[in-house]
This record gives sequence, C-alpha cells and structure tokens, in this order.
Amino acid sequence: MVKKKLSFLEKEIYFNINLIRSVQLAIIDRYHPEDKMKCPMHFCTGQEIMPSSIAPYLKKEDSIYSHHRSHGYFLCKKGLLKKMIAEFFGKVTGTNGGLAGSQELSDPDINFYSGTILSGALAMGVGDAFASKYKNKKNINVSVIGDGGIEEGIVYESINLASLYKLPVLFICENNIYSTHTNIKDRVVSQDIVKKISPHGLKCFSFDLSNPISLSLKMKKIIKEVRKGKPHFVEIKTYRFGSHVGPESDDHYGYRKQNELKKWKKRDPINQIKKILIKKDDFKSYEKLIQKKINKIIDHAFKFADNSKFPKEYKKYNLSNSYTKNIKFYENNISFGSEQEDHKPKPY
Amino acid sequence: MKKNRVLNFSEAINEAQIQAMELDKNVFIFGQGVDKTALVFKTTNKIKDKFGKKRIFDTPNAEQGETALAAGAANAGLRPILIHHRVDFMAYTFDQFVNWISLWSFKSAGKKKLPLVVRGIIGKGWGQGPQHAKTLHSMFAYLPGLKVVIPSSPSEAKGLLLSSIFTDDPVIFLEYRSLYNTKEYVPPEPYFINLEKPRLRYVGQKLTIIAIGSAVLSSIKAIEKMNLEGAVDLIDLREISSFDYKAIYDSCKKTKKLIVVEDGWEKFSVASEIISNVAINNVGLEKPPIKICWPASHVPMSNPLEISYYPNEDDICKAISIVL
Repeated sequence: MVKKKLSFLEKEIYFNINLIRSVQLAIIDRYHPEDKMKCPMHFCTGQEIMPSSIAPYLKKEDSIYSHHRSHGYFLCKKGLLKKMIAEFFGKVTGTNGGLAGSQELSDPDINFYSGTILSGALAMGVGDAFASKYKNKKNINVSVIGDGGIEEGIVYESINLASLYKLPVLFICENNIYSTHTNIKDRVVSQDIVKKISPHGLKCFSFDLSNPISLSLKMKKIIKEVRKGKPHFVEIKTYRFGSHVGPESDDHYGYRKQNELKKWKKRDPINQIKKILIKKDDFKSYEKLIQKKINKIIDHAFKFADNSKFPKEYKKYNLSNSYTKNIKFYENNISFGSEQEDHKPKPY
Repeated sequence: MKKNRVLNFSEAINEAQIQAMELDKNVFIFGQGVDKTALVFKTTNKIKDKFGKKRIFDTPNAEQGETALAAGAANAGLRPILIHHRVDFMAYTFDQFVNWISLWSFKSAGKKKLPLVVRGIIGKGWGQGPQHAKTLHSMFAYLPGLKVVIPSSPSEAKGLLLSSIFTDDPVIFLEYRSLYNTKEYVPPEPYFINLEKPRLRYVGQKLTIIAIGSAVLSSIKAIEKMNLEGAVDLIDLREISSFDYKAIYDSCKKTKKLIVVEDGWEKFSVASEIISNVAINNVGLEKPPIKICWPASHVPMSNPLEISYYPNEDDICKAISIVL
C-alpha cells in the first residue's frame, strides 16, 4: 500500500487546532498561581474546530466579530499570540493596549473584534459587511455567536438586515448546549436553531465535528458563496471541555452530567483529526515539528508579555475630539429673537 | 453672501446632510421611513433624488440592529447617519451605546473610532405624552465616549450637524420638534461649529443664564420681555457631555448669579451637573443658583396639564426676578 503525504490544507488545519488547544492549556496552566493575568477568561478547549476549519479561506481584509469565547478565532485570523497574551497581562503592548482583556480581545490590524455582551458583536459585523458592499469591496465578515447569544432579539434583526440587503456575512453559531450553566433544553422550546434562522431567506447548515477536513471543505464552498454577497448561516454542534469562565472546573455545580462530558471528550476534535491524518506517512514527524514550533511561540509570547510595560494613559481614549476634514471652525454670530414661532403641529 | 437667505430649522438640517453627502461619499442616511412621505419633518427632503437609494434607505423596525449596523459600518470606514423619529425609540438601542459604541475607541486604546451620528427627535409639545416626548440626553451624556449635541437654532443646527458628521467621535444629535419652525439667516456654504465650545449669545454683567436646545429660545424670550439684553450672559451649551467649562466659570465669577434652563427632567439633569461643578469650583455665587427643568414626572398628554408641565419664558422671568 502506498502511503500518502499530508496535504497543505490538512497541515494547516492540524496546526490550527493544536495551536489553539496548546495556547488554551498554557494559559490555564499559568493563570494560577502566577496571577499575572487578572481578567475573566472564557476558554475554548473542545471548540477549536470551526475557527481552524475556516482559517485557510479568510483574507486579511475580511473581518471577524466574535463572541467572548474568542481565542480560537483570534489565532485563526492570524492574530499575534504575543499581543494576545500581553493584553491578558494588562500591558500596553496588548491588542487593546491592556485596557480590555480577554473578554473584548480586539485587534484592528487583523480586522478582529470581540465582546462579551452576548450578541452585539454579531450585529456590528453586519455593519462591517454593509461597508464592504457599499464600497464595492470583495471582503466578507464572519460573525460568531453561541447558542446562548442567539436567543437575543437583536440577532434576528441583524440576520434579517443581512439577508434583506444581501450582505457578505457568514454567521456561525457555536452550539455548545450551555448558556453559562443553563442547558438549551431549559431555555427554548424549539432547540432546532437552523429551523429558526432559515425563514430569514439565507442558506443555513448544521454541521458536527466528526470530520474536520470535510467540514473545512464545506466551509470553503460556503465562504465562496458569501463572497458573492450571499449571507449564510452555519451551526456547529460542539462542546466546551472546561468551565464557563476561568481555568478552574465548574463541574462541582452539577449543571452537566459527567457522562455527557465523557461522551464529548471521546470525540475530542484533536483525536478526530488525528484518526484521519495518522494514515499519512509524514504525520508523526509533522506533529513533532509543530508541537516544537507552538511551544516556542507560546514561550516567546509569555516572555514578551512579562517584559512589556503597563499602560499609563486611559482617559484620553474615550473621545478623540478630532475631525476627518481639515476643519476651520466658524464663529457663529447669527442670532434670532423672540419673534420666533413655536412648532405648529400638523399633527405628529 | 446674501444675508436675507432665511431657512427654517429643518431646512438647515436638510442642507447640512446634503452638503455632507457631497463632501464625502462615505456619508449615508438610514432609518425607519426616512426616504419617504413626511421625510422626517422634511429634513431628508430631495436627498433620495439627489443621491439615490444606496445613500438613503428605509429599514425594518429593528432599532437595535440598525444601531449596530451603523457602528459596524463606521468601524469599517463609513460615516452613517441613523435617524429616529422620536428619542423614545432609542431606548431599544441602549445596549449598543452602553456596551459597544461609547467604549469602542477607549477599548482600542484610541486605535479605532466610530464616526457615526444618531439623530433623535424630541417630541415635546402638542399631546406627545409619556412615550413620545422624552429627551434622555442626560442618560446618554452620562456615558463616557459619546458626544451629545443639542442645537438651538437653524444656523446652529447646520454647523453643528456638519461637525457631528465629520468628527471622529460618535454623536447623538437631538432635535427639539418645537424648534422646526424657527427661522434665521443660514450661510449657504458648508461650515463647522466647534462642538467643545459653548456659545455666548448675549453678554452682560448681572446674571448668567445657561440654556440648551429649545430652552435657549425660551431664555431669549424672557430676556427680551424683561429688556435685559446687555445685562445677561446667555450661554448656549451646544454639546452637553464634553464641553469646555471655562466660559461658564468665567461668566459666573463675573455675574455671581446663575440660572440653568433645560428642557429635560430635573433629576440628574445637565443643570444639576453644571451647578455641582460651579459649587465645587467656588466661583463665588451671591445667591443660590436656580435650575429650571421639567418636573421629575412623565409627561402628561392632557393639554392644560401639558402646558403647565413645560417651563416657559414666564417661569424664566420669575426666576430672573428672584436672583436679580
């Protein structure tokens, strides 16, 4: 039997999944007792598959507006890990100058934005796509939300707007069953998310994580359609292995069954992709190579964050008081007197 | 330049938008019903004919989605103008201002700006009642990172709206419906008014009156009624969130008497904020300052009650008699 070599795509997806997982584990490992990262953090261990799968098809000009479990999407938008870690350290070299932390990890250099108040980022993403169409550009927006965030009314307004105005948006819903600690079954009568979104007139799909490579190829086709100005919606059925927030386990609350967690861990995305790629004869050597590379990136990022300075300024960033045009102000001395009439209602 | 070129308030706003759209192709207008029928009190008159439906368009009833669309579009380099026929509908959009728009520049450490304008119309008067007459300006001004502009006259409206469109900061632009019939000379060319600088409308030695929006006209009426032109400093605030206090402190130190007039609720009002700062900065007032605002109550529809609810020039005259 002739063994095959890993394709470029397989290599990239495998690298992405491992990068995200290793970064998450490294942060969890160093969170305590180092205590240098003093901000709430939502880890995405177990949910690496979707960002890893779409990354090969995104261009720098494309934007991602993500929910708060955002690290995977940041890394797959080719965000610099050192800037991300520096942000978590609250350092001036961080993506947000150290002023926002993990919950709102954003980097204009790669058109990546996120926020933690549920659904607002997705809604802003629609505006970004609107600008792309308005300016006749070819870039797309990827708006990412969870099964919790999708319950908010603004999501339906925004998806309708994207569909009505034919905007290049790829909506991704990461359905991990839980909104914080509340099961989707306890939150909504209809748990079929695609059924709820599809009447808005855009193509909707629901995928699971059984085969990361074939998922990626499906996403390639979808992204091609989105680039033509056809919004699409994709649900990915996934599961978070860790807690809702922070590095500590929250399973002592008993909000999810341990059997459920075990069942999903058996389908760990890393194992799923390994099962497929292990048949390639250069897999072992590639795995070794990237693990070394990833460890190096992580070490470098933490050192960078440690050596960076804390910010000194913050107040001045609230308002710029600047103008786009080279403006000369007009001293208005035109005045009216008491002869002015009030509004004459023509009712309303 | 012909000085007899008189426009009313809505014509001035219309002209500002048209000129902004001519100056910059990234400026566009949207909102519910903005391109048809009543044309938002005629403020969007002829814009669709001139610029086409790409640059002015109607929307579904989706205030939240629209506001977020404006924010995302501004983040990607456009300069949106979103219009609400009444401020009351903006309550739907509180999350977009509180959690996204107002802190966008801050949380990017100044790297990103959201140059957007949200125009909201304040219904005040003629039976608008508790759901159509709100101002909410203090609530917006409370948030760091937003500018809240309230023009008082046609020429002010034009220059302030042009500045609001071309500043890099997000602006909430509030228009009192009661001012739409006011008329005055408005220069034909585009011009910009400094959003940070309150305007000194009258200069005098005896009393400082600070007013916002429609309260500026009520104050002018009161001052003329009492023949106090030349005796009063009348300060038109223009922008209520981040203005320069110097003109206010200087005036109060000079006159040692202060009245603040505001068409809005008295609790947590701009008047309260100004009086607090004046007190802290010890400008040496000789008499207690007076604030003239709406009562801390929702607005009654019934006509006699409504008339008694809104402060008018007579209320200002009474206050002037007390302090002078």
